Amino acid sequence: MKLSRSFSARLSTTILVITSMLFIISMLVVLYFSHKIIEEEAKKNAAAMLSTTSLNIIHTLAEAESTVKNMAWLVEERIEDTTYMYSITSAVVVINEEIVGSCVAFRPNYFKGKQYFAPYAYDSEDDSLKVKQLGNDQYNYFKMEWFTVPFLTKKPHWSNPYYDQGGGQIMMTTYSYPLLNKKNEVIAVITADISIDWLTQQLCALNINDDSKILLVGDKGQYIFGNLPGIGFQEDVIKYEQAKKNPDFVQLIKNMTSQKKGTMPMRTSHQYSFAVYGPLYNGWSTAIISPYENIFAKLNLMQFIITIVSIFSLLLLFISCHRIIKKLTRPVTEFSKAALVMAQGDFHAQLPQIKTEDEIKDLHDSFEHMQKSINHYIQELKTTTATKERFESELNIARQIQLSMVPTEFPDNERFSVHALLQPAREVGGDFYDFKEKGDNVFFVIGDVSGKGVPAALVMAITRAAFRFLSGLGLTIDKMVEKINNTLSARNKNNMFVTLFVGKINLTTGEMYYCNAGHNPIVIRHADGHAEYLHAKSNIVVGAFENFNYEHEVTQLEKGSRLILYTDGVTEAEDVTKAQYGDSRLLDFANKIDDKDSAKDTVDHLITDVKEFTGEATQNDDITILTISYKQD
Amino acid sequence: MNVTINQEGNKYNVILEGRVDTSNAAQFEQDLKPLMEASNAEIQIDCSDMTYTSSQGLRYFLMLQKHVMSHQGSLVLCNMQPQVKEVFDITGFSNIIKIV
Repeated sequence: MKLSRSFSARLSTTILVITSMLFIISMLVVLYFSHKIIEEEAKKNAAAMLSTTSLNIIHTLAEAESTVKNMAWLVEERIEDTTYMYSITSAVVVINEEIVGSCVAFRPNYFKGKQYFAPYAYDSEDDSLKVKQLGNDQYNYFKMEWFTVPFLTKKPHWSNPYYDQGGGQIMMTTYSYPLLNKKNEVIAVITADISIDWLTQQLCALNINDDSKILLVGDKGQYIFGNLPGIGFQEDVIKYEQAKKNPDFVQLIKNMTSQKKGTMPMRTSHQYSFAVYGPLYNGWSTAIISPYENIFAKLNLMQFIITIVSIFSLLLLFISCHRIIKKLTRPVTEFSKAALVMAQGDFHAQLPQIKTEDEIKDLHDSFEHMQKSINHYIQELKTTTATKERFESELNIARQIQLSMVPTEFPDNERFSVHALLQPAREVGGDFYDFKEKGDNVFFVIGDVSGKGVPAALVMAITRAAFRFLSGLGLTIDKMVEKINNTLSARNKNNMFVTLFVGKINLTTGEMYYCNAGHNPIVIRHADGHAEYLHAKSNIVVGAFENFNYEHEVTQLEKGSRLILYTDGVTEAEDVTKAQYGDSRLLDFANKIDDKDSAKDTVDHLITDVKEFTGEATQNDDITILTISYKQD
Repeated sequence: MNVTINQEGNKYNVILEGRVDTSNAAQFEQDLKPLMEASNAEIQIDCSDMTYTSSQGLRYFLMLQKHVMSHQGSLVLCNMQPQVKEVFDITGFSNIIKIV
């Protein structure tokens, strides 16, 4: 469970992190370029709008100019007809929508007795056309810009915007055209008034968004119109904005007053904007200042929406990944459980069902294969173990049988005593001994079959049985050995052989016949305590060659002497340094035998001596010891 | 235990070194196999570096001897060390195998 959780969580987190990074990178790239494009578009758009509006305004003003010029023709023709002046000015105001007022202002005393004469037609506040004679002492037009400039320069002129107190009673700008006589004297100034409201409407249409600023400045940088807060009509814009210490703004005004056209960035402490500006007419110039935040408001909104959507998408992705991976790795968890069950010894643990054809299926197949293999091996191991146990138990039985073949009841009477020991190196061995009392004689044998284990044990059993049988037939020792040899040699394909020492002691006379068939020489410990190896002719081992003629020998045992028979397991017993017990040590032992020691004592002491010598070393060969005491009367 | 066999025609010069005991008896049998398969073989085994033989080893000498006897060959052991010779003497093998 833990594996699945951490695995899916880890993988999902990794996917989430990578996807988020990709999302963020793509979003940043998209936003960057969107930003660029929107900014460019906004600037182009603003410039285009400014340009269009300017053209519109210029066109209108130019129309007003030509209207006045045409009007000058008509006035000149009927200069004496004062009533006509009212008619023509009225016609101009009615025909031209943008012209809110028109006047023919004569120079002082042009008509005798009339110091002021300026017939004027205008749109009144209630939108009806009205006419009046402008000039009087309260409205001395001779001192007004719209009259004085063309009068003196003899050139047409656009006045700066002004409030026409006593005239149109509105904010206006006036185009004045001097009417000259043949003497090149100005006799009258013909005018057309354009409402500032109209200009304002045109410019207000430029208002791209709520926070944009529109600015219209005159040729000297004076404020004409706009939506800048805290600045009055005709005030110097540079001085106003310099108070706010905004160098960008100062630069903008300078560019505008020098009639330049362009775009520039505008930084204030709290806002980042751009300005599009261009000349308008008559030295005037307009600008639109747009804060970027407004331009990017929609982009920011889009960014916000994308972010929210992305977060939800990523969250959804994370949850689905987590679920899917968890589902995919669920079999792994179940495999883990199955492995735990198997670890506890149940090799038939239920495996999860896999329907997909993928790595998990491979895992399942491997797991199943492993399960089958383990079960197979366990079955095999059980069989092997059972077989081994059977062998071992059979070997143990064989050992019991073999050990019971050699006599363990030892005679100890007034004429002789016998004792023996057989210690197989393995469960069963090839060593054996036997003895049999028959009448006056006691027959004895000690033997060692070549090799060890079961084959040796089988040969040993045959040999011992042959000895048992033959010793009862009253044969001489040499014949007895020959018969044993022939028994073993026949059909001895394995060339197994036995070394034998066979003897017969006449308990009355002490005469001993013996035959050594390839066996170790036996030790004789005389009655006086002196010990030596009994000389014996070496006959070939038993079982090697059929029909071999064995020879026996005879010796006289004095009463009180003992025989020590042994197998090479004694003399070739090795200590840990591989040193052998040896013949001389055995002889030394025999020389130290006490007269009072029984046959059993001798066997016990000898095996103790051998064990002391070998110490920790393992026994490599069967050890057999047989002692016979020929007693005093 | 190490067995080196040099063959020249039907003459086999064998050098036998080390101990022949229960632990390497099977190997010894394997090493002697070429000799056990030859006919009319005149086998001479140099035993100067042979230090010990167990009864198992003797068994293979016996098998070899029986083989040469039945296949018109000959077997001679030479330069045998005294303690090894003693084993051959005790077991009566000196009576059936030619030792020089």
